[in-house]
Amino acid sequence: MTAMAPAVGSAEAIRRFNSHDGKTARRRRLVTRIVTHACIWVGVLLSLFPFYWLFAMSTQTTAQIFGFPVDFFPSNQLWINIRGVLSNIDLLGALRNSFIVSGSLALLVMFFDSLAAFTFAKFEFPGKTVLFRILLVTFLVPGSLSLVPSFVLMSRLGWVGGLQALIIPGAANAFGIFLLRQFCETSLPNELIESARVDGAGFFRTYWSIGLPMLRGGVAFLGIFTFIGSWNDYVWPLVILVNPNVQTLQPALAQLNTMYSTNYGWVMAGALISVLPLIAIFIIGSRHFIANIAAGAVKG
Amino acid sequence: MAALSRRSLLTGAAGLGVLSLSAALSACSSPASISAGTDELTLWYWPRSMNPSALKDAAHGIPGTNKRLNAMTPANTNWDTRLRTSLAGNADVPDIVAINSNVSLYFFDEDMFVDMNKFGAQSFKSQYFDWKWSYGETPSGRMCFFPIDSGPTGFYYRADVFAKAGLPTDPDAVSAAVRTWPEWIELGKQLRAKTGSHLLINSTQLFNQIVNASPERYFNRAGDPLYTRPGSAIKDAWDIAVTAIKAGVLGNQQIATDQNAGWVTGKTAGHIEAVWWAQILLDTAPKTKGSWRLASQPVRAGNSGGSFLAIPHTCQDPEAAFKFITWSQTAARQAQAYNEVQLFPSTPAALTGGTMKDASHGFFGPQDSLAFFKTQAETVPSAFISPYEQIANYFTTEIANVEAGGKDPNRAWDDAVNETNQVLRKHGVNV
Amino acid sequence: MTAHTTGVPLRAKPRNRPISEARGTRTRSALRFWPQYVSIAPFYLLFVVFGAFPIVFSIVISFTDWDGMGRMTFVGLKQYQYLLGDARFWQSVSNTFIIWIISTIPMLFIALVVAFLLHQNIRLKSFYRVALFIPNVTSMVAIALVFGSVFSDQFGLANAFLKWIGGSNAGVAWLTDPWGIKITIALMVIWRFTGYNAIIYLAGLQAISSEIYDSARVDGAGTWRIFSRITIPMLRPVILFTVITSTIGGLSLFTEPQVLLGNTGGTNNAGSTIVLYQYYQAFQNFDFGYGSAIAWALFVLVLLFAIINWRLVSGRKEDEFGRALPGPIGRWRQRNTAKKEAGR
Repeated sequence: MTAMAPAVGSAEAIRRFNSHDGKTARRRRLVTRIVTHACIWVGVLLSLFPFYWLFAMSTQTTAQIFGFPVDFFPSNQLWINIRGVLSNIDLLGALRNSFIVSGSLALLVMFFDSLAAFTFAKFEFPGKTVLFRILLVTFLVPGSLSLVPSFVLMSRLGWVGGLQALIIPGAANAFGIFLLRQFCETSLPNELIESARVDGAGFFRTYWSIGLPMLRGGVAFLGIFTFIGSWNDYVWPLVILVNPNVQTLQPALAQLNTMYSTNYGWVMAGALISVLPLIAIFIIGSRHFIANIAAGAVKG
Repeated sequence: MAALSRRSLLTGAAGLGVLSLSAALSACSSPASISAGTDELTLWYWPRSMNPSALKDAAHGIPGTNKRLNAMTPANTNWDTRLRTSLAGNADVPDIVAINSNVSLYFFDEDMFVDMNKFGAQSFKSQYFDWKWSYGETPSGRMCFFPIDSGPTGFYYRADVFAKAGLPTDPDAVSAAVRTWPEWIELGKQLRAKTGSHLLINSTQLFNQIVNASPERYFNRAGDPLYTRPGSAIKDAWDIAVTAIKAGVLGNQQIATDQNAGWVTGKTAGHIEAVWWAQILLDTAPKTKGSWRLASQPVRAGNSGGSFLAIPHTCQDPEAAFKFITWSQTAARQAQAYNEVQLFPSTPAALTGGTMKDASHGFFGPQDSLAFFKTQAETVPSAFISPYEQIANYFTTEIANVEAGGKDPNRAWDDAVNETNQVLRKHGVNV
Repeated sequence: MTAHTTGVPLRAKPRNRPISEARGTRTRSALRFWPQYVSIAPFYLLFVVFGAFPIVFSIVISFTDWDGMGRMTFVGLKQYQYLLGDARFWQSVSNTFIIWIISTIPMLFIALVVAFLLHQNIRLKSFYRVALFIPNVTSMVAIALVFGSVFSDQFGLANAFLKWIGGSNAGVAWLTDPWGIKITIALMVIWRFTGYNAIIYLAGLQAISSEIYDSARVDGAGTWRIFSRITIPMLRPVILFTVITSTIGGLSLFTEPQVLLGNTGGTNNAGSTIVLYQYYQAFQNFDFGYGSAIAWALFVLVLLFAIINWRLVSGRKEDEFGRALPGPIGRWRQRNTAKKEAGR
């Protein structure tokens, strides 16, 4: 985001236009700025309110949550609720499984997608055009459409109930390959690859020592993106994870809701636990993530 | 991206190379039985569906076998989805499983379960209520579902709210005031007018409990639909529910959280349910303890809930599983189960054994809930639950549409009948 | 790394053209290229096994009556016949579209306004962006639980607020009234994706040259006029893109209604979407055959939309099939440059 163009109606532009009438312009500018900030703050508050509310409810007793009038402020039940959830449902186990699934999926996607993208961007080989077109067409195939046959396939493979059913099928995807191919084209000079070849490096060595390091920005973005997507995946784990001892966070949370609807404080505490790691990861990587999401999404 | 060094990326990538390889190699199959290769038998049950002491004892070893019991409590909603998914996926299937009163759902796939007659189940038959035992036998005569508890129902009500409305509060007086459903609705109207409270959460609950108390249900044994016949029990229940909706005595609470809020706040001052519901109510609205009472529901008591134990075909040691089942469901164990978790027995001997105690601990004020449900149990009718009931569940959906969506009752009834028939035809039943 | 963290990808420059290892010797054996084939193989292998095969296999299943456990019975086209006459299926289709419309239109409009506001050179910009974007990375299950309590008929905050404003008789049956259900789901979608779309629009805005704005200002155009006459037309390709993603998202709506209302989609199945109905038939009724037939109907719908979108976006140029994808923005730039040159 460094090479940013001067903004729409930027202060500079307005100043240039209004320079003959400084005082009114300054006042108008101030009003505009206040209105702008006020509008954005409405949006920010609406965005963040559910998180506040989630927090507030997880600190209340069930009776407070269901009570009337509505109790708007946090209470002191947070630890009691959290302890209640953790001692009644294996949420930490689900948390661990979610980390295993999302983490290994992200790593696999980063590896396979960057390798394929490197190849598509930098090498010619017979059938390349056709293969790449096929890859583009697979964009059209949405994942959640084939619940039944995928389930039957998993049952034939003996993967029903196993975490590999959530990891292996998505280990390489068209979106990531496409995205990283863009990065390759813009950030990986051919001279480097050429000189690696002159030095006698083979294909994989070139990828490993030149391609991957040069692509790390895009690869890291893809990793976070994949991690978040997988973390929030709901319908497929809901179908495939039949063993009550092997759950990921989302289905575990939905079960918590239906199982303890009489103890809503627990449910909210559980929801809070499931939301926090992701928000932390996002905030840490947010600058980079937001900068790339537009680039990624626009091509997705 | 300064935070991410080239080295850490490479290390990560190297790690993942190993990881993906090992994942590919070790992607071994989940076993069909969840406890394969152990000396355990795994039971799936939901909280308060089994006798806790029996489970504790069996965890050290099931008497007469060399197996130990591993009791698991998976989430209890979509119970059948979980069990059927694991059966269809042939993975992580438990060795013993509790199934609710809707066992007929599994009749089409009875091969998925072990026939307990192979181990001499018939010799236990005389110990249990006839109607309960016959629910567990498949149409082809296999005994796949062994009785746990039964669920005679009653009319729960808030005596304090009734008093505020100037209604009778004494259980006998309330029972006498609601001998018929029109009387019950009339009572609800007065309650609503004076206090604004509802008599029951919603129309689905009312409709289902009327059906549960009826000797005639949706289908006969031959699979013929009965609901289209003139004067059918289903249509009667439907009409009562519609009248109750129009009288405004139902709360139109379609979602669990709303229902809970209704009981906590007293906006809902009544319920019709079996004995096991008292504990749920206590958990939801502990502060209402002491103000609830039990009265006989109109016409006669029904059976709601009451579960069974089954042995899936993947079980490693079905004989040991059967031994556990019979050992955990003796009259003495069932009496203990009532004392511990209010599971109403399915063996008459437990009721007369004298070891059962009123376990309500003042939840119903001075009223003895055990004595109450014992009396109710005597009026529960036998009925036939057809497997098609589970496929054709449109009546309850449509009655909810009348209540919540304001749908015309006649149109809703016609839709329910048509949709049900359509589904039956799809599954090859001639209607 | 700064150059390529730019929101809009740059076009490949000539010096970055792919290296041709073959160098004119096209007749050589393809075996020579084994490292290239190996490196792209994982995607194709996984796609064939876990993507393409299930779709083909679902045709087979949709011709049968099967509950996943018992015997499969071949029933020919019966499931599809039933589908055509199944009021609940068509209701799910219409629910999906209604929710899609009442969520997408306000969402994209608000996102555009937000992006426009964010594009002013204001302070706190990066904080705003993060705050507005956070809903998008939050798990839908947790948020459905929060919305479920905020919009609860009995104890919800939304109704408490309405009562506070409009007296004790005010309040909406958000989770039982058929329209209340649809609106609640739409609000969840809006909440989750407005920030996301705003960020994308913002990237689009930043790609528009400031000269255009300056000259408009000099001509005396006001903010609204600039917004409606310059910003929106310039953003058209980006808007098209967000419409496409919203369509795909809208057609596969599942988590919100399922967590909020259960597998039947609430009163009158008012919240039953196509994917939820598919799930309900397959994994509650265990009608695998019918579930597959629904999946195919959905697939046809998605395909239809994809083709429409493709046509809208790619300008019907066959040879742009691959090159066009760098994104609407890229294409807009091309077109824009062409226009500018033509104008001079």
